[in-house]
Amino acid sequence: MGGVGLWSLVRFLHVTGAVLWVGGQLALSLVVLPLARRMLSEDARDRFAAEAGRRFGLLTGALFLPLQLGTGWAMAWHKGVTWASLADPGYGRTLAAKLGLFVLVMLAAAGHGIAHTRGRAELARALAVASLVGSLGVVLLAAALPAT
Amino acid sequence: MSSQVDHPAPTDARHPGGLKQPDLKTRQLRAHSVVAVWVGLALVAAGAQQTLPVARWLAVHLFLLGAATTAVMVWSEHFAVALLHARRPDERRSDARLAAVNLAVLGVLIGVWLDRPVLTGAGCVLLVAALAAHLVVLVRMGRGALGGRLARVVGFYRAAAAALIVGAVLGGLIATGHAGPRYYAGLRLAHIHVTLLGWIGLPVLGTLFMLWPTVLGVRMTERTTRVARWVLALTGGGLLTAVVALVAGRRWPAVAGVMAYAVGTVLMTTLLARTIRRRRPVSAAAAWMLGAAAGWLCAGVAADAGVLAVRPLTEAGEDFTLLVPVVIVGFVAQVLIGALTYLLPIVLTGGPRERAALRAVLELGWPARFVALNGGVALLALPLPDPVGTAGLLLAAGAGAAFLALLVRVLVRRGGGAGESPSSRRPVLLGTAGGTVLIVLAVLVANSGGGTDHPADASRAGGNGAAVTRTVDVTLAGMRIRPGRIDVTAGTELRLKVTNKDAQRHDLKVEGGPATPLLSPGQSRTLDLGPVTETRTAWCTLPGHRAAGMTMDIVVRNSTDDMAGMHDGPTAVTDDSNPDLSAGFSPGWKPRDAALAPALAGTVHRIELHAVRRTIEVAPGVRQQMWTFGGTAPGPVLHGRVGDVFEVTLVNDDPAMGHGIDFHAGSLSPDRAMRTIAPGQRLVYRFRAERAGAWLYHCSTAPMLQHMGNGMYGAVVIDPPGLPKVDHEYVLVSSELYLGTPGSAAQVAKMRQGAPDAWVFNGVAAQYAKAPLRAKAGQRARFWVVAAGPGDGIAFHIVGTVFDTVYEEGAYLVEPGRPGGSQVLGLALAQGGFVETTFPAAGHYSFIDHDMRHAEAGAMGMVEVSK
Repeated sequence: MGGVGLWSLVRFLHVTGAVLWVGGQLALSLVVLPLARRMLSEDARDRFAAEAGRRFGLLTGALFLPLQLGTGWAMAWHKGVTWASLADPGYGRTLAAKLGLFVLVMLAAAGHGIAHTRGRAELARALAVASLVGSLGVVLLAAALPAT
Repeated sequence: MSSQVDHPAPTDARHPGGLKQPDLKTRQLRAHSVVAVWVGLALVAAGAQQTLPVARWLAVHLFLLGAATTAVMVWSEHFAVALLHARRPDERRSDARLAAVNLAVLGVLIGVWLDRPVLTGAGCVLLVAALAAHLVVLVRMGRGALGGRLARVVGFYRAAAAALIVGAVLGGLIATGHAGPRYYAGLRLAHIHVTLLGWIGLPVLGTLFMLWPTVLGVRMTERTTRVARWVLALTGGGLLTAVVALVAGRRWPAVAGVMAYAVGTVLMTTLLARTIRRRRPVSAAAAWMLGAAAGWLCAGVAADAGVLAVRPLTEAGEDFTLLVPVVIVGFVAQVLIGALTYLLPIVLTGGPRERAALRAVLELGWPARFVALNGGVALLALPLPDPVGTAGLLLAAGAGAAFLALLVRVLVRRGGGAGESPSSRRPVLLGTAGGTVLIVLAVLVANSGGGTDHPADASRAGGNGAAVTRTVDVTLAGMRIRPGRIDVTAGTELRLKVTNKDAQRHDLKVEGGPATPLLSPGQSRTLDLGPVTETRTAWCTLPGHRAAGMTMDIVVRNSTDDMAGMHDGPTAVTDDSNPDLSAGFSPGWKPRDAALAPALAGTVHRIELHAVRRTIEVAPGVRQQMWTFGGTAPGPVLHGRVGDVFEVTLVNDDPAMGHGIDFHAGSLSPDRAMRTIAPGQRLVYRFRAERAGAWLYHCSTAPMLQHMGNGMYGAVVIDPPGLPKVDHEYVLVSSELYLGTPGSAAQVAKMRQGAPDAWVFNGVAAQYAKAPLRAKAGQRARFWVVAAGPGDGIAFHIVGTVFDTVYEEGAYLVEPGRPGGSQVLGLALAQGGFVETTFPAAGHYSFIDHDMRHAEAGAMGMVEVSK
C-alpha cells in the first residue's frame, strides 16, 4: 500500500504532536529560559518563566494531550492492539512500556506544576527535567515500534 | 573500657598526619553515593526480575557485589584504623583500590549481561587483585600499630577479604563456564556460602561487637574480647570447612561447617542480648535494625544447615536460592540500613546538633519501614503461595527504596554543603537521573522477551501462507539442552516447546529472538521463533550455564535454489528433515475423502481435467506447491464399469510448462492421446475401459519422474462384473512425497536417490491417522489400492485383520469361502487391486504400508471401528 491515505494522516498528526510537544519542551529549556535568565531582571524572569510554563501547560492540556491520546488510540485500534497483546513480548510490550513511560512523564509534568505553585522551585525544576528526559524516552520507544 | 574509646568517629587528632575532616567527609560522600547508585540499580533489576532472564542474578549482584562490597571495603578500612589505632592508609591508594573494585564489579556485571565470558573473567581477575591489595593493607595495618582492645575484630575483616577472593575465583569459574556441568552445583553452593557468610557475614559479625554497644550507648561487656576470638574461630573455621567440603561435593562436612558457623552466630547474638540495658539507645532505629538483622542471620544459617542436611548437594541449590533473598534482605540490607543510619551522621557532620538533624532525616518513619521490611522478609520466608511472596518482596523493596530516598536526600544535602555542586545544578542533575532511570526501566520492560521483529509481525509481513511450521520439544536438564541441534530449511516457522526437567531453574534465550522466563523444575513454555532465515544459537542465560554447555544450534539450510528454467513459479518453503507427523494440521484442513464414490451413471463419462498448480497441506503443518490434475494430488478418481467410455478433456492451465496424460485403463496409440500440450491448450483423451481393475493415470510429459513426483497422478477404478456390495468402499492411492520447490535440484536429487520426505495415502502424510476412517464391528469393507510411486510399490496391510478377498491386477487371488487368507496386498509400481475384510470387533485398526520405513514416515492410517 503506497501513497498518502487516511492512516498516513493520523500517523502524521501523532508524530507532529510529539515533535511539537517534546521539541517545545526542549526549546523552552535549552533556548528560551536560559536566555530569559540572562537577559531579564529577576522579577521579570520569574514572571516570564511562570507565564511561559503556564501557556505551555495550557497547550499541552488543550491540544497536545488530546491529540496524542486520540491519534494513538486510533492507530492502536487500526493495528488491532488488544489489552492482552500489550503483555506480549515485542510490539505489545514495547507499546506498553511506551504508554507506561508516557503516564509517568505526564505525572512528572503535573508534579512540576503543583510544586511550582507551592513555591518548591528546586523540586519543580527537577520534575521538569525528569519529564523532559522521560519524553525523550517515549520518543525512543516510539522509534523502536515498527511502522503501523 | 568505655565504648567511646573504640568509637569509629574519625577524630583525627588521634592520628597524626591523618586526613583532614573535609577530605574524609568528601570521600565518604563519594563512596556512599556509589553505594546508593548500586542499590538503586539493584532495586530496578529486582523490579524487572519477572521479565528479564538475568534480572534476578543482576539484582543480587548489583546489591551484594556492587553496594555491599563498596560499603564493606570503605567501613572495614575505616574501622580497622580506629580499632588498631593505626595510621590511615594512603588516601589515593585507598581510592584506587575502591575504584578498581567498582570497575571490576562493572566488568563482571556487563560481562554476564552481554554474555562476554572474557570480560567477566577480566572483571574477576581485577576484583581478586584489588581485594588482595585490600587484604595486604589490612594485614600491614596491624603491624606496629598500637592495637586496641578490639583489635581482634580486624581478623574478621581479613578473613572476609580472603573469602571474597575465594568467592570471586569460584564465581569466575562458574560464570565463564570453567566449572563444567559436573562440578557446577558444588561450586555454586560454595560461591554462595563464601560470599554471603564470608565476605558479608564476617565483617558484619565483627563490627557488631563494637557497633552494637555504641549504638545502644552502653559499655561493652568484659567478655567481648574473648567471645570475639571464639566467634571468629567458629565462623571462620566453619566457613572454611563448609566451602572446601562443598567444592569437593562432601555433604556432611559441609553441614558440620555451617553448624559451626551457626554456633558462632548464636554465641555472638547471646553476647549482644546481654549488652542490652534499660537505657534509651543512641539510635533506636539502628539498634532495632541491627538486632533484627542478627536474628535473620541466625535463622538463615540454621535453615541453611537444615537444607544441606536433608537434601543432596545437587538439589540443595534450588532450596538455597529460595533462602538467599531472605538472607540478603533480612540480614544484609537491614544491616546496611541500620549501620548507615547510625554511622553516616557521625562521619558526615561536625557537631552534635548537625548530627542529630541528619540522624532525624535518616530515621524518618523508621518504625513503619522496619515493620515493612521485616514483615516482607517474613512473607518471603514462609512457604506461602506466590502472590504473598511477591507482596513480601514489594513491601521489603518499598522499605529499601524509602531508605534509599532518605540516603540520597542526605548525600545531596551534605554534598551541597561541601560545595561540590552549585545548588542551581542540583535539580537538573536529579531530574536527569530520575528521567534516565525511568527510560532504562522502560527499555528493560520493552526489550524483555524479544524484539519488535516478533514472529507474529514478521509472519504477517512476509508470510506467504506456504511456510512450514515445526514444533520441537526441547528439554533442559543436566546442564544440557536437548536436542543440541535443530536443522531447518530457511523460512521454517519454528516453535520450541521448552520444558525444564532439571532440579534447578533454567531458561532458554534464542539469539536475536524471544526467551522464556526462568522455568522452575517441571515448567514448560513455548517459544515462537517465526520464520527462521539464518542460523542461530540458543542458550540458558543463567550465569555460567551457557559456558558450561547449555547451548543449542538452530541450523538453517537453503534448498530453495536451482529452479529448472522451465519450472519457474512461486517458491515453496520446505524442510529437509522429515515432517513432524505428530504435529497438528492447520486450522480448517480437511482430509481427502477416501470413500469411493459410486460408479458414474451411463456408459459414456465426460470429464474435464485441468492441469494446475496448487499449494496443498501435504503433511501436518507442511504446505507445499504441487502440480495437480484437477487441483488435487492425486487427481480425481474415475469410477466406472467394464465397457464404459471415458472422454477426458485435459486443459493445461499451468502457465509455465506443458503437460500430458496417460490412462493405464485404456488401450490406444499413445502418439496423439498422450502428447504434451502447451499452456492454455486442450486435449481430448478418449478411451474405453475394457477390463476391470484399479488403474493408474499420470502425466505423460518428460521428465515424468518430476511430474509424477510432484502430484500428477490418479486412479481409475473399473468394477469387475458381479462385484458384491459391501458396507464401506475406499480407495487409497499410495505415493511418495518429496518436499522442496517443484523441479528444484534439491528436490530432483531426492527423487533420483529414492529418498522421499514421506510416504502418503491419497497425497497427505498421516492424514487418516489424524482423521480415521470409521466403521462398525461386523461390517465389511473393501479397500482399493493403487501404487502410484513414482519410486516405490506397496505392501498394504491392515493390523488386526486378515483379507478374505484379494483382487490384484485383474484376478482374484483369494476369495471368500476358501480356506486361504491374505495378510498383504503387494503391489509393484503402477499396479492396483483391492482387498476385503470384516472387522471382528470394536477397536482401532491401523492400515499401513508394511514396509516400516514407509509406514513410520507417513504411509499409515486408522480405521476406527465402533460397536
